[in-house]
Amino acid sequence: MWVYEKKLLYPVEVSECNPRLAKYIAEQYGGADGELAAALRYMNQRYTVPDKIIGVLNDIATEEFSHLEMLATMIYKLTKDATPEQLEEAGLGAHFVNHGHALFYSNAGGVPFTTTYIQAKGDPIADLYEDIAAEEKARATYQWIIDVSDDPLINDSLKFLRERENIHSLRFREAVEVLKEERDRKKIF
Amino acid sequence: MDAGEQRAMLKEVQQADFVVVELTLYTNTHPNDEDGLEQWRLAIKEASRARKAYEKRYGPLSLHSIPSEQAIEMGWRWNQAPWPWQM
Repeated sequence: MWVYEKKLLYPVEVSECNPRLAKYIAEQYGGADGELAAALRYMNQRYTVPDKIIGVLNDIATEEFSHLEMLATMIYKLTKDATPEQLEEAGLGAHFVNHGHALFYSNAGGVPFTTTYIQAKGDPIADLYEDIAAEEKARATYQWIIDVSDDPLINDSLKFLRERENIHSLRFREAVEVLKEERDRKKIF
Repeated sequence: MDAGEQRAMLKEVQQADFVVVELTLYTNTHPNDEDGLEQWRLAIKEASRARKAYEKRYGPLSLHSIPSEQAIEMGWRWNQAPWPWQM
């Protein structure tokens, strides 16, 4: 189970209302390589992996939910004071007529989230390689968002998230090695 | 209440908790690293200290902490702004 903590994993501050930047950040909120996809992917895979790597999937999944909350906070703060006209100018007119000022799990192009983005193969190596790829794609996406963002406060939080993807990728790579060692150890007997 | 001071104390909790998050992931894949395990243990201790200091002044961050009778008398409630995205 989970218990709510009334704080973010890392502070999120914004310089000014910027719905265009919010639209781009949505890629990591409800996109194919985003935090929702990551959290749901790992949370599901943890049931059918060897005991030694359950913790990695469980704890990274949990951290991804805290990343999701950081992104939601960014999008909320960047759009809460925007007028319908400003949202429309930023390319969020279609979002506004469907959702108003509410957040929604869709990517930067406005495509709603779908679980077809993720997989659980029941094969630990196959799952972990997908997870490593997912982290690397998320890292790249954060970099592209930083490249088009001119908000230094948002960029600070985005850089923190980008670095977390590196660490998660590393831990998943180590998990692969743990599985290989386990496999090789079994062959000896 | 000074919002700047609250933010600073919350940041201390966030920093201390983050060390725990990081070292938990590390020890998951390095279960025999004794130095890592000791750092992890001390990080949990420090996070607990930072949390207690914050919660004493501003109320529980989660319901694993007991709200003081005084806090409730003074009007503190769980369902009270600011929520994290409002800060």
